[in-house]
Amino acid sequence: MDTLREVLEFYRERPDEVLELAWIHTELSLIALAIGSAIFVPLGILFARWTAGGSAAVGVVASLRVIPSIALIFLFYPLLGFGYQPALVALTILAGPPLILNTYAGMRQVDAAVLEAARGVGMNPAQVFFKVHLPLALPVIIAGMRSASVEIFASATLASFIGVRTLGQYIVTGISLLDTTYLLAGGLLIVALVLSAEIILGGVERLVRVPAA
Amino acid sequence: MLNRRTVVKGALAAPIAATSVGIGFNPAVMAQDGPIVVGSKDFTEQFILGNMYLLVLEDLGLETDASLNLGGTQIAHQALESGDISLYPEYTGTALVEVLGLSVEEVLAEASSATPVADASPSASPVAGGTNAEYVYNIVRDAYQEQFNLTWLAYSPANNTQALAVSREYSEESGVTTISQLAEVAADLTISAPADFPEREDGLLGLQRMYAAGFEDIEVLPVQPGLKYQALLDGEAEVVLAFGTDGQISGYDLVVLEDDLGLWPPYNVAPVVQTDLLDANPDIAARFNEVTTSLTDAVLSDLNWQVDGDDGADPADVARQYLEDNGFIGG
Repeated sequence: MDTLREVLEFYRERPDEVLELAWIHTELSLIALAIGSAIFVPLGILFARWTAGGSAAVGVVASLRVIPSIALIFLFYPLLGFGYQPALVALTILAGPPLILNTYAGMRQVDAAVLEAARGVGMNPAQVFFKVHLPLALPVIIAGMRSASVEIFASATLASFIGVRTLGQYIVTGISLLDTTYLLAGGLLIVALVLSAEIILGGVERLVRVPAA
Repeated sequence: MLNRRTVVKGALAAPIAATSVGIGFNPAVMAQDGPIVVGSKDFTEQFILGNMYLLVLEDLGLETDASLNLGGTQIAHQALESGDISLYPEYTGTALVEVLGLSVEEVLAEASSATPVADASPSASPVAGGTNAEYVYNIVRDAYQEQFNLTWLAYSPANNTQALAVSREYSEESGVTTISQLAEVAADLTISAPADFPEREDGLLGLQRMYAAGFEDIEVLPVQPGLKYQALLDGEAEVVLAFGTDGQISGYDLVVLEDDLGLWPPYNVAPVVQTDLLDANPDIAARFNEVTTSLTDAVLSDLNWQVDGDDGADPADVARQYLEDNGFIGG
């Protein structure tokens, strides 16, 4: 309880800095999630339709998940230098595996008989895709965005190693001073951000779920 | 105090000695449960020093184990206090501020007003003439012995102080050679520093308090410590938070700004060792002191540069080469 009080006191002492860091952290994460979704959801769809190599490609993507995010952050530093852009690139790539894997699984799990029925009632391929296939896969795709957002919000901490002031500032200080107040001040905010993203995307996921007939 | 310590030591040593001999341990390591574990923090100079300690201990025929790269001061200190490691290199100023929690200003103000309680030696007269090094050393040495039962061996002439550095070009164009002068223009500048810099009393908070002016608005580019200088070379920052013995300072032809108001204490480096280990192995102190007192600013920045510069040498190789060249091992 005392520790919690210290953390609240910490926030009260420097509201401007806390808000500024939390905002940069959030903005960086959301942009990475948006760009990641725009790239990797279509890629997942392509893999799902690619009968010959899709499952092998997805296997390769899944194995890429073992690359630690801290390595990824530094991997782009020699190419892109310091600052916002390299951090964004790294975080976007980090979102790739969960987005691709979930999109692939979501598309593949749709019952072939349902798609066949859609074609049977005279829908053209585009209609089958946009009116039946994609809506049925959407809840799983959004679940992928949820796990991607957890990875991104957590890893945005590491952007503080390549020139972006995120909540990582508190984590790094907490580690170097071994100060739990700093660690919790940063950690709790990151948890709060992740939970908010979870709740919002969870709501979206329920909204797009096609009610079972 | 000496007497009490001796008595305690004797009481502890007796049963340990008995069991050790019983199991057939080498009496030289009887106070140790296993190998002597050498620790270090997570930057080049610490790796080199940690390797030097390992090599000297091995040269003494002792069994060693390395636990280098322990992160920051607090982690290394806790590891030492809990006995997970037996020694690591520490800086006097860091110990004063970060471990003992003393304020540099208070300590030095006390120093100028009174005779030092810490040491009776007349050469320890404080402040004037750059004897701060010895004064601060005496304070941390005595406090460590008393609070943690840890021994500070002799300290290096090298002072790895924190410092602000700029490129020679910038210094010549702007005429800035001191931190006071930098403070006037700092609002328009970016400083490359580890991410904890804005939160630290021996970092930006101290600069703001002591030098005020522009340090309220200086932009901080947080980077991984190994990338500090790269940001300066890439033109992302004009100022870098440097350490006095960083090889990059001469390697990249940087200018270290004078800390004219004295924010930072002296940072001379010394091995901090479990006192029991030294009692059990009386040879260690003399051998370590011989090495440490040879480490000047020039020596350390040269050794650091061999690792951090284009050579990219291995810290262990650099340490071995230096010790062999100077006859500290293998003699």
